[in-house]
Amino acid sequence: MAIAVTPDTKKNYLTALKEAIAEEMARNPDMICMGEDIGALGGAFGVTDGLIAQYGRERVYDMPISEAAIVGTACGLCLNGKTVMVEMQFIDFISCGFDQIVNMTATYHYRTAGEVNIPMVIRGPAGAYGGGALYHSQMNEAWFANSPGLKIICPSTPYDAKGLMKAALRDPNPVIVYEIKDLYRKREIEEVLPEEDYVVPLGKAKVVQEGDDVTIVTYGQNVYHALGAAEKLKEEGFSAEVIDIRTIVPLDEDTIVESLKKTNRLVVVNEAPRTCGFAGELLSRMTERAFEYLDAPPVRITRMDTPVPWVKPLELYVLPSVAKITEAALKVCRY
Amino acid sequence: MATTTTDTAQTSPDGQSSPGNRPSDRLTHDDYRELLKQLYLARYFDVRLIKEKKRGRLRGTLYSSHNQEAILVGSLYGLEPMDWISPIHRDMPAFFLKDFRSGWDNPDRMGMTIEEVCSQVWGKATSPGRARDNWSHIGSKSKRIIHSTSMLAGTIPAAAGVVLADRLNGLNTVAVTYNGEGSTAQGVFHEAINFAAVEKLPVVTIIENNQWAYGTPTHYEYPLEDFARRADGYGIPGLVADGQDVIDVYNKVMQAVEHARSGNGPSIVECKTFRAYGHGDHDDDRAEKYRPAEEVEKGRKRDPLHVMKTRMIEMGILTQEEADKHPAEGKGASEVTDADFPAEVSEYLSRGVNFAVKAPLPDETEGAMWVFKEGE
Repeated sequence: MAIAVTPDTKKNYLTALKEAIAEEMARNPDMICMGEDIGALGGAFGVTDGLIAQYGRERVYDMPISEAAIVGTACGLCLNGKTVMVEMQFIDFISCGFDQIVNMTATYHYRTAGEVNIPMVIRGPAGAYGGGALYHSQMNEAWFANSPGLKIICPSTPYDAKGLMKAALRDPNPVIVYEIKDLYRKREIEEVLPEEDYVVPLGKAKVVQEGDDVTIVTYGQNVYHALGAAEKLKEEGFSAEVIDIRTIVPLDEDTIVESLKKTNRLVVVNEAPRTCGFAGELLSRMTERAFEYLDAPPVRITRMDTPVPWVKPLELYVLPSVAKITEAALKVCRY
Repeated sequence: MATTTTDTAQTSPDGQSSPGNRPSDRLTHDDYRELLKQLYLARYFDVRLIKEKKRGRLRGTLYSSHNQEAILVGSLYGLEPMDWISPIHRDMPAFFLKDFRSGWDNPDRMGMTIEEVCSQVWGKATSPGRARDNWSHIGSKSKRIIHSTSMLAGTIPAAAGVVLADRLNGLNTVAVTYNGEGSTAQGVFHEAINFAAVEKLPVVTIIENNQWAYGTPTHYEYPLEDFARRADGYGIPGLVADGQDVIDVYNKVMQAVEHARSGNGPSIVECKTFRAYGHGDHDDDRAEKYRPAEEVEKGRKRDPLHVMKTRMIEMGILTQEEADKHPAEGKGASEVTDADFPAEVSEYLSRGVNFAVKAPLPDETEGAMWVFKEGE
């Protein structure tokens, strides 16, 4: 799609995603989009805006409210040579297509001994902090991290959103994309994107800010909370290194281990619930691989083991925050 | 058990099929003989494997297709080589019966070889899925057989997807999916057929209505006399076939297939049959807990081999003497012997069994392989 671009125009996270999908549609004639209201409406948030006008119903499908059939049909399309982008209107609704994702799609390559691969991207708006309440706020990536065969990504910047989305759409495996809807139109994170085609490879973490005293590992919206905590820590005389893992599966352990060799202290932040959340996985992997470098017990700041409540004071009470991360990091630094 | 051969459904694609206008009217006597032979082969596959299983030679569970063979044979016979199928647990013979008309031993046939299917049953490296999942959980992208999981009805959306891709690529193919009546209560069954109807996708959904979903009878599964009436809610044809009669199955499925191939969309074909044994071989001894013996006795009476032979005798294709030569009908696995089957049938399967028995197991390290495809 022809999008007028002036080189110094800053773009938001939503535009970055939109461009990635539109450019991949143009690049790959075998790519198809499926989802609820993604045609004339352009999706609930406008990520697919304009696609149906350009490609018609042959490549852009407004689907019935049937997540299982959407994923299952996409799986059949991929089995027969297509690449499919599936939009979940909210990532919370992915549970309605769960069996088709974890049993049909995720296992296809494995159970066919490599005969079949399913190049499918399932993406959707995710995350709390916006008053979305129980069913429009979830981060349920741990369900899928526990289902071998799925890659999982969660970009936190426009640059990464575009580059990771493109990499996902070119990956031969199913990839689930957690888009942070609170970042979709966030002015403060807008940035100039390269004019040329680029990808951000899956499975590579990014050191967002360098530091010496403690490593804060996170992804998604909490990257910004971690950076806020790093500011507070500075006031207390500590310098924090912030790592955005960007890809949950496969996890780039090496970047974190390298950081721990330097800082010797670890704080993990994740807005999913504590029990069996991905924060626990990060802690155990680092305990296995970097125990000898650690000078303090590692900690995790997560959502409480609750759903995400609606009204702001309740919501913020159960979620990680700058204050909670700062407090935990200070304890670790002063251990 | 209903034995109706109603062409049913007010929504029937081309109305009542009258004699002279049925797909089977185009079948030759040779076709009839071939169909009978295929019924024998499907039956022999089942009883032979039950015997092998009872001798402790096989792992996993055998879900018998005994007494339901006419559904597989009749539905597959008229398909084009490039059509798709998605068989389920009770449909093991479908893997080799697909495109069987191209020649049992034709290497270019768009179906699995008997060696491949037996390799899968024996859990060997020569199985198309290298024995990574059990029994019926195999398939072939190149032969156009969708790989099922244990979550039944779950392949109907995949069937919709593969034919949608074909349509986009300019290929006019049909996908035939197999389902028990039990799985029709799954949400994905509704979701997939609804979408296929909306998009007019060439998906034929066969319901093997064998009256029992494991231990639950149909009256606890759905409230209809003919399940096929469910089709009315999607605005698609719903046909009822006598699942014991290979010709009636052929006729109803071919009506649905021609309807689909002409661009008119999906159909449901309910094939009424009876599960002659337990849900799986593990269940045979317990089936009396929930199924009265008289019902089982009655349900086994209309053996598809017998129904077909009677038909062929009436048509003058078979003599009574020929029909009695291989009396496999009405016999359970423990009563039947190789002499009850034509030699070419037992020899064909024996070739697959011998191959599978000698084939190697997959290397243990394969257990950790193929979780992800490596990038190009």
